[in-house]
Amino acid sequence: MTMTTAANPQAEAHIPWGRVRQGRRTADRAMKLIATGFTFAAIFVLFWILGMLLVKGIGGLSPATFTQVTPGPGSEGGGLANAIVGSFVLTFLGIAVATPIGVLAGTWLAEYGKKSKLANLIRFINDILLSAPSILIGLFVYVILVEPFRGYSGWAGGVALGIIAIPVIVRTTEDMLNLVPGPLREAGSALGAPPAVVITSVTWRAAKAGMVTGILLALARIAGETAPLIFTALNNNFWFSPTLVGGVSNLPVTIYQFASAPYENWQQLAWAGSLIITLSILILSIVARRLVAGGK
Amino acid sequence: MLSTLELSPQTLDAEAPVRIAVKNLDFYYGEHKALKNINLDFRDRHVTALIGPSGCGKSTLLRIFNRIYSLYPEQRAEGQILLDGRNVISNDVDVNELRSRVGMVFQKPTPFPMSIYDNVAFGIRLYEKPPKSELDDRVEGALRRSALWDEVKDKLKSSGMGLSGGQQQRLCIARTIAQKPEVILFDEPTSALDPISTGKIEDLLEQLKTDFTIVIVTHNMQQAARISQYTAFMYLGEVIEFAPTNTIFMNPGKKQTQDYVTGRFG
Repeated sequence: MTMTTAANPQAEAHIPWGRVRQGRRTADRAMKLIATGFTFAAIFVLFWILGMLLVKGIGGLSPATFTQVTPGPGSEGGGLANAIVGSFVLTFLGIAVATPIGVLAGTWLAEYGKKSKLANLIRFINDILLSAPSILIGLFVYVILVEPFRGYSGWAGGVALGIIAIPVIVRTTEDMLNLVPGPLREAGSALGAPPAVVITSVTWRAAKAGMVTGILLALARIAGETAPLIFTALNNNFWFSPTLVGGVSNLPVTIYQFASAPYENWQQLAWAGSLIITLSILILSIVARRLVAGGK
Repeated sequence: MLSTLELSPQTLDAEAPVRIAVKNLDFYYGEHKALKNINLDFRDRHVTALIGPSGCGKSTLLRIFNRIYSLYPEQRAEGQILLDGRNVISNDVDVNELRSRVGMVFQKPTPFPMSIYDNVAFGIRLYEKPPKSELDDRVEGALRRSALWDEVKDKLKSSGMGLSGGQQQRLCIARTIAQKPEVILFDEPTSALDPISTGKIEDLLEQLKTDFTIVIVTHNMQQAARISQYTAFMYLGEVIEFAPTNTIFMNPGKKQTQDYVTGRFG
């Protein structure tokens, strides 16, 4: 708008109505429609999976699923008790290995390493580890913990799961700490608190909900991992040794073996196991989201 | 224009000892020289305001007094800042001890994610282990001193993050004075607050100067005029003029100062 337009309303330089082209409006609607359509497509697949799991899995669920051990080939009935407990133990071990390493490494990156060359290198390697094929990690742990000790063990399985969880925790810890406003750290320092005190009692506290969420998401991630366990904890159709030496039964490998077997009861149990894992992860995710919401 | 400024009744004591003496101070952000040969004296238990347009170096200067700048390795200061005779920017001064003597309140309120009580006790607990009853007394005293006690006395255990912006800022002041510093640095403490909260903080500053030496950075010239006894006008990393606040606002010695305080630039 120029001064002449304002001074002389009769001038031709007025702004015409309808200068937004019809085509632009159509393109806008089309974009919205396409985006909505694909969103529903994605959700549809998700619900399809969940629905199928529910229908087929619930049929296989019974009290026996939680009380009896996995059946041998050709035997009737059976449950998943040993696999459920084994998965619980392995996942717990994995998270116990990964949490201190992941949290402290993420803290180093956010609070000490910052933009230094070393920190950038570690970030790069962490990103690679984040997307590394999990079977590779299984093989790695096989070479360092299974071969030298001449046997599979739950410990090796826990370490393999831990290695998968570490980059997830490193990343979320660093991201969450970076969200803590700089002035909050400065305020801690300005009271005369040394960096270690600022980190542990101010910064970690401020980022607590996000950091715990990261750990829970890592837990969800490793709860369903199969490939790293095949080479490390293997599996076991009986109660495993409390020392965790030898094969340790677990849900993902059990599902893998049972689903591809010709026995009806095995296939049923594979569905039931899948449902149990999925529901556990779903519950974990809901708890994680609640924590984030509660932390604000 | 000048007459519209309400000047505080000047309780200026020209005989007051110098608490902080800045001598030949330079400051660098990497290669960039942000402060050039600063020389200033801050009088004991007076309020000194640092004013000037954005980027003039007033916050930079404030952040040297407690060496908070040293959190960032690319920043460095050269020269002297004498606090009770010791050069605080020399390496043999322990920064954490220095910071317990020189408190700081920031532009945005920075309550820690913990209870109101723990916020105030945070600084005390860093260097002292007082018995519970004494700690309670000091927390209460600091909150009373910050004009916050009546508003929070029934919810000391609830989170400091749940307070309003103005209350949070007074909580931060309570946290700072609980540590019994000698000097308190205020970095635009009211620029994120509404006028009523601002008024409360300004009243508080008036009270606090009976016990503490105060340095305040402010964008608001009326605020500087209302609350300070001395004012330093800075521009492009230099102190252009430093004088009693009345002189700076009513009878400045330099044309640049006059232009700035009358709103002609900045």
